[in-house]
Amino acid sequence: MGAAWGRSFVALAGLGACLSFAVAGEEATAPAASWFEEVAVAAGITSRHTNRAFENPYAEIMSGYTALGAAVAVGDFDGDGWEDLFVTDSAAGAPNHLYRNLTGESGRLAFADVARAAGVAEGNDARNATTDALWLDYDGDGRQDLFVARCGRSLLFHNEGRGRFREVTREAGLDAHANALAALAFDADRDGRLDLLVGSYFQPVDLFQPQTPRFFPESFESAQNGGGVTFYRNLGPDQAGRVRFAEETAAAGLAQSGWTLDLGHGDADGDGDEDLYVACDFGTDRLFVNDSRPGAPRFRDVTAAALGIDTKKGMNAEWGDYDGDGRPDVYVTNITDDYMREGNFLWHNDGPAPDGGGPRFTDVSRETGTHDTGWGWGGKFLDYDNDGRLDLFVVNGWVSAGTESYVPLIFEMILRGGVDLADVRNWPPMGERSLSGYQRDRLFHNQGGVFRDEAPRHGLDSQRDGRGVAVADLDRDGRQDVFVANADAAPHLYRNRLPTGARWVAFQLEGRRSNRDAVGARLTLTAGGRRLVRWLDGGNGFAGQSSRRVHFGLGAAERAEALEVQWPSGERQRFAGFAAGRLYRIVEGEPELQALPAAQESRR
Amino acid sequence: MRDGLWRGAAALLLWGALAPAAAADAPPALAQLEQAVAADPDSPRPASDYRMAAIRAGEYDRAIEFFERLVAAHPKSANAWLNYGYAYVDKIPAAGAITRVILANQSLEKFTKSIELQRAWLALYTRGNSYLYWPPIFGKGPLAVADLEEAIALVKREPQRRPVHARVYVALGDAYWRTEQPEKARAVWREGAAHFPGTPQLQARLARDGDELSAYLYNQLSPNERVDTSLAPLWAEP
Repeated sequence: MGAAWGRSFVALAGLGACLSFAVAGEEATAPAASWFEEVAVAAGITSRHTNRAFENPYAEIMSGYTALGAAVAVGDFDGDGWEDLFVTDSAAGAPNHLYRNLTGESGRLAFADVARAAGVAEGNDARNATTDALWLDYDGDGRQDLFVARCGRSLLFHNEGRGRFREVTREAGLDAHANALAALAFDADRDGRLDLLVGSYFQPVDLFQPQTPRFFPESFESAQNGGGVTFYRNLGPDQAGRVRFAEETAAAGLAQSGWTLDLGHGDADGDGDEDLYVACDFGTDRLFVNDSRPGAPRFRDVTAAALGIDTKKGMNAEWGDYDGDGRPDVYVTNITDDYMREGNFLWHNDGPAPDGGGPRFTDVSRETGTHDTGWGWGGKFLDYDNDGRLDLFVVNGWVSAGTESYVPLIFEMILRGGVDLADVRNWPPMGERSLSGYQRDRLFHNQGGVFRDEAPRHGLDSQRDGRGVAVADLDRDGRQDVFVANADAAPHLYRNRLPTGARWVAFQLEGRRSNRDAVGARLTLTAGGRRLVRWLDGGNGFAGQSSRRVHFGLGAAERAEALEVQWPSGERQRFAGFAAGRLYRIVEGEPELQALPAAQESRR
Repeated sequence: MRDGLWRGAAALLLWGALAPAAAADAPPALAQLEQAVAADPDSPRPASDYRMAAIRAGEYDRAIEFFERLVAAHPKSANAWLNYGYAYVDKIPAAGAITRVILANQSLEKFTKSIELQRAWLALYTRGNSYLYWPPIFGKGPLAVADLEEAIALVKREPQRRPVHARVYVALGDAYWRTEQPEKARAVWREGAAHFPGTPQLQARLARDGDELSAYLYNQLSPNERVDTSLAPLWAEP
């Protein structure tokens, strides 16, 4: 307890520092009106996610536990400078969607679904249901490839250029049956290649035609019969030039059998490599530190020392420095409702333990006002008002259906005692009941270490059952927009129209010695007397991949004084004195920033 | 049951701070205390002292198993059953959310057994107060009202008014509030305040209203906080 007190004190001291942080852009960004406009349909996003309906003896029960699969991934697949969206469906036979960003031509957010033409629409059939998606340049050819996670067999599509993809799952060594819900691309061993980590919820049974009824969680709090994670090391090109992956989960120290819902990476201990947060249902979240050498990925479980507690329902693993102390913190969603008051976690990174025992985190969700969002799913840091502080957007709700609640039924089973929970037949069907339904999404505005929900003001308080969140400046106007993938419902696309003058700058990185996507890069920006740190991640957060462009709000600062990029290779580059209001391209090892055309210029 | 003598973050932190030191010599101390309880199963003090020591040592399961054996040996001891129930409550903060529900349900069964043996105000208050921690959807509010109304009637027949009795007024008011009877809630809190002036739990409730009071009570009845189940106030000086 003494150590915990010490950690709490450190965390609170950090909050105090935040509270005294200068707010350069406060006046400029304080109008009371809504700053967001819901434009999904107007922008051509007309698809609607549908949950998978199973056709097996357990279908009625399974439907209450499989309201998943609504995901979104942001990536510029055609290299035109305008970031595109891959949006999933899960219904049998329903297509996935590749929304090409046409904004450059229209001046307003506009998309066209080109999934069929591109060859990436097929993802849902009788034996497979799409659950997540991830853009990554796994072969370093400069084009964004696409990984589609599925319950069944996940898919890897190679970007062939000219708007076409080719499915290469088998030749890449990724053809395996799993009930995947999460995927993360990062360079685990810093060999310059993106590795792939896949998180699975159910164990690898055939959910569509189960051979056994015993595939549900064996315990509510310590289940070890989940799908765990699968680590694929990128081996680089073979003699034929085809990049292959090797499954090395056990060798990497990541073998486990939890019910994985999300994966997130970040440099928890500041040693330059990527550590892992694995968010699990029905069991303990896990934090792994990275002990890899090039060619030899290796992780070590430090959960007990670093976190200490867990509520057994982790659903989101987003990393970001919310308090400006230069260390990445972690936001994890849990279940907070009348019947289960777990509370989300905002794990404040306290830095390394004094005894050299690795990273230490303290949950400051209550102190910061971010603990209660309901039944949380995707949560993403963003800086929607460009004031330089990371805000937080969280979507919530499990199943919104009839007025009757499912809660008494599930607790009747729990309290009955002696129930074989692994047997799906023992679980009560949900029918038309709701479970933590009609919960509002939250937009937590960072007011200097404490947050206030501004979702109602900005019209972001949707009651749809949100799952994945992606943040990107889709119209390149310097304001971060938000896409929300909702389960069994239409998505939301919120265009940010922040009215006044807070400045910004953004960077698009390209690795050379490092992985081409520069995943894992750390950017330290100095502007207006402030020092801001951001990291480039490879798909953190539940069912939502945000832009790979690294965005900084600058408040009133018109220029950035300096930028340091620490590349995943270990190389550091420094850039001095550049104007705000631009997107810059940075290539590893090249001495100059390259200002990309502004949106208005691009449209001409 | 969170604020004041029987509950509170300060107490929780105190226990937590003492836990490592206490754990080191826990087995012999607990063994001695178990002997004391076994020798006098109807007496609240040894049982309470033992459970407090078990909490400090983090030996929740040991305490539960001990009281399981105790009630098997003394099935007619209302005090043993009551403390058996408390042993489950004592474990709740250390458990996950689902296990908490199971533990709470187990504790209710033991409290009920104690009440079946002896309809004492303490047991009725304990069970009625426990009902308040259940989410409204489980419909335990009226059960809480019934237990706590009976408890307060018994308290009024006690030969001597003691500060510990104020808790029954607090809890009955909470039960009325939970069952959407705000006027009755205020009335019983006011009555309690008249009998026990200066009781902070009653003052806190009477100083609030509407949403503020609802939020306050919601936080007071959080399963995340340790409920102080020490029975020491029973033998404290009035």
